[in-house]
Amino acid sequence: MATTTTPTPETPSAVARKPASPGKQRLSRRRRREALSFYLFISPWMIGFLVFLLGPMIASIYYSLTDWDSFNPPKWVGFDNYVKLLTDDPVFWKALWNTFYYAAISVPLGLVLGLWLANLLNKQVRARKLFRTLIYLPTLIPLVATAMIFRMVLAPNGPINDFLGLFGLSGPNWLLDGPWVKPALILMSAWGAGAATVLLLAAMKGIPRELYEAAEVDGASATRQFWSITLPHLTPIIFFNLIMGLINAFQIFSQLYILIPKGKNPAGYDAAQTMVPLLFDQAFSYYRMGYASAISWLLFLVILVFTVIAFRTTRRWVFYETEVK
Amino acid sequence: MATLATPVRKRGHEDRPAEGQAPAVRAFHATPFTYGTLMIVAAVLTTPLVFVGSIALSSDATVNNGAFTIIPREFNWDNFSRVFSTELPVGTFLLNSVLISLFSVAGQVLSSGLVGYAFARLRAPGKNTMFLIVIATMMIPTQITMIPQFILFRDLGWVNTFLPLIVPNFFSNAFNVFLVRQFVSRLPSELDEAAMMDGLGFFGIYRRIMFPMLRPVLIAIGIFTLTHTWGDFMGPLIYLNDESKMPLALGVQYITATSQAGQAPPWNLVMVGSILLALPMIIVYYLGQKYLYEMDISGGSAGVK
Repeated sequence: MATTTTPTPETPSAVARKPASPGKQRLSRRRRREALSFYLFISPWMIGFLVFLLGPMIASIYYSLTDWDSFNPPKWVGFDNYVKLLTDDPVFWKALWNTFYYAAISVPLGLVLGLWLANLLNKQVRARKLFRTLIYLPTLIPLVATAMIFRMVLAPNGPINDFLGLFGLSGPNWLLDGPWVKPALILMSAWGAGAATVLLLAAMKGIPRELYEAAEVDGASATRQFWSITLPHLTPIIFFNLIMGLINAFQIFSQLYILIPKGKNPAGYDAAQTMVPLLFDQAFSYYRMGYASAISWLLFLVILVFTVIAFRTTRRWVFYETEVK
Repeated sequence: MATLATPVRKRGHEDRPAEGQAPAVRAFHATPFTYGTLMIVAAVLTTPLVFVGSIALSSDATVNNGAFTIIPREFNWDNFSRVFSTELPVGTFLLNSVLISLFSVAGQVLSSGLVGYAFARLRAPGKNTMFLIVIATMMIPTQITMIPQFILFRDLGWVNTFLPLIVPNFFSNAFNVFLVRQFVSRLPSELDEAAMMDGLGFFGIYRRIMFPMLRPVLIAIGIFTLTHTWGDFMGPLIYLNDESKMPLALGVQYITATSQAGQAPPWNLVMVGSILLALPMIIVYYLGQKYLYEMDISGGSAGVK
C-alpha cells in the first residue's frame, strides 16, 4: 500500500520538467487534449472496472439480501441469509473451521520449510542451481496436475503409504478417511514450499556480507548468525509471503474439488469442506445465488480481518532497514 | 508491495564472494549434513514427478491392478500418442487451452500496456484517485464477483463458449496495470517529449516509442496471464459443459470424473494429460525466466527509487 503514495509525487515533478508554454490558452487546450487521451487510454480499465467489478459487487450485495435461484424473480429477505449462515448452518461453521485449520497450518509450514531450504541453499554448496531447480520445479506445475499427482501419491497403496510401511506403519486412506483429508491437503501444499524458497534466497543474497563477518569476529555460531542477521532481514519478505499465502489458502478450491470428488466420496468431501467449495456448491449445484453471495461477502470479511491483523502487527516483528537509516 | 522491495532491490549488488573461495563465515559453511539434507529433500520432492512418469508409461493391465511402481518398469510410450487418438479428446482439450490462453494473453498485453502507460505519463484530473481505485481492486477476492458475472454472461448467452474466459482479459487487470505503470515511471521521459515536439500524438508515442520499450514488462505480463489461464480450473468448470469445449486443465479432471462406476479411471492416460498440462508451463518459465526476474526488481522497487 505504501507504494500507492510514494510514486504519486512524481507527477508534479514531471509537470515542472515540461517546458512552459507561452500562452495560457494554448496550454489549456493541450492539457485538455492530454486529459482526453488519458480517459480514452484508460477506458479499457474503466469499462472493465464498472462492468466486471463495481457492477457485480453492487449486484452481489443485493443478491446476498435475497432468496434467488437465478431463474425466478428474487425475493427480498433482508439479512436472513447472513443470520442463517452464522446461527443456523453447521456446514458453514465447519467449512470456516476447516479453512482456518488449513490456512493456519499450511501457510506457516510452507514458510518455515521455504526458509529452511533457502538457508541451506544460501551456503556455499556445489550444484546449487540444480538443487534450486529441483526444489522450485513442483511450483511450476499447474494446480490441476498437482492434484492429479497427489491423488496417486496419496492412494492407499501409493508411495507415501509404502514408505510408512517400511517402518511397519499402515498408512491411512488419506483421501477417504475424514480426519486424514486435511493433513493430505497440507502435505500437498508443502510440496510447493519452493516458491517461498526462491524469493527468500534472492533476498538472502542481498544481506550485506559485512554483517556476517562482524558476527564471525565476535564468535557467533552459524545458528546465531541465522537468528540475529538472516532472519531479521527477511521479515519484510516473510510478511509479504504470509499475507499472500493466507489470502490464497482461504480461497482453496481446485485441490479439494479434484482430490476428493464429491460424487464418489461424500464423506471425505464433507470432512474437508472449505469456504469456496461450499460457495461453489450453493451457487452452481443448488442455485442458491443469494445464499452463495452472502458466503462470498463473509469470505471477503474473513480475508480482510486477517490482512488487517497482519498489517497491525508488522511493527512488532517486521524489520525495515530503511527505517533505521 | 513496498515490503517486497527492500531485500530484492539489492540483488543487483550482491557481495557474495566467487564460488570456490574458502568460506570465511560460518553461516555460509556447507557441511556434509547440508548436502545430505538437500539430497534427501530433492529426492522427496522429485519422487512424485518420477512416479507420474512411471504411471504415464504403464500398461492398461497395470492400471486395472493398481500395481504402480515409483521407478518405471514398463515403457508404453504409445500412451503419449494414444491420448491424441479418438479414445480421449486430449488433442481437442489442448487446442482449446491454446486458444483460450492466446486470446487472454493478447488481451492483457494490449490493454494493460495502454492503461499502464496512461497512468504513468498522461496528466488528467482525477488520475490519482483512479489509480488508488486500481490498487484497491487488487484486494477484492474473485469470489465476490463470480456469481454476478455468471449471471451477466448467462444473460448474454455466453455460457458454453470461450467468451467469459477471454473477454474480461481485454479490459486489463489491476496488477498488470500496476506493473506497467511502475515500469514506465522508470523510463526517461526525454524520448516521448522529443516525439511530442515532432508532433506525434499520444497514441503514436505509445505505439512507436513506448510499446517497443515495454517489451520486458509485457512479456512478464504475458507469462503471468498464460500460467493463470492455462491452469485455471474454476472458470472453465463454471462456464463450459461440452466436452469438446473444455481446456486441458478441466479435461484432465473430466476424464477421471466420467469413468464408469466401479472402474478405475485410465490413470496412465490421465497422467499423460497431466504431463502435457505441466510441460508447457515449465518450458515457458525457463524461457521467460530473465523477464520475470527483471519484473521482480522493477515491480518491487520502482516505488522506492
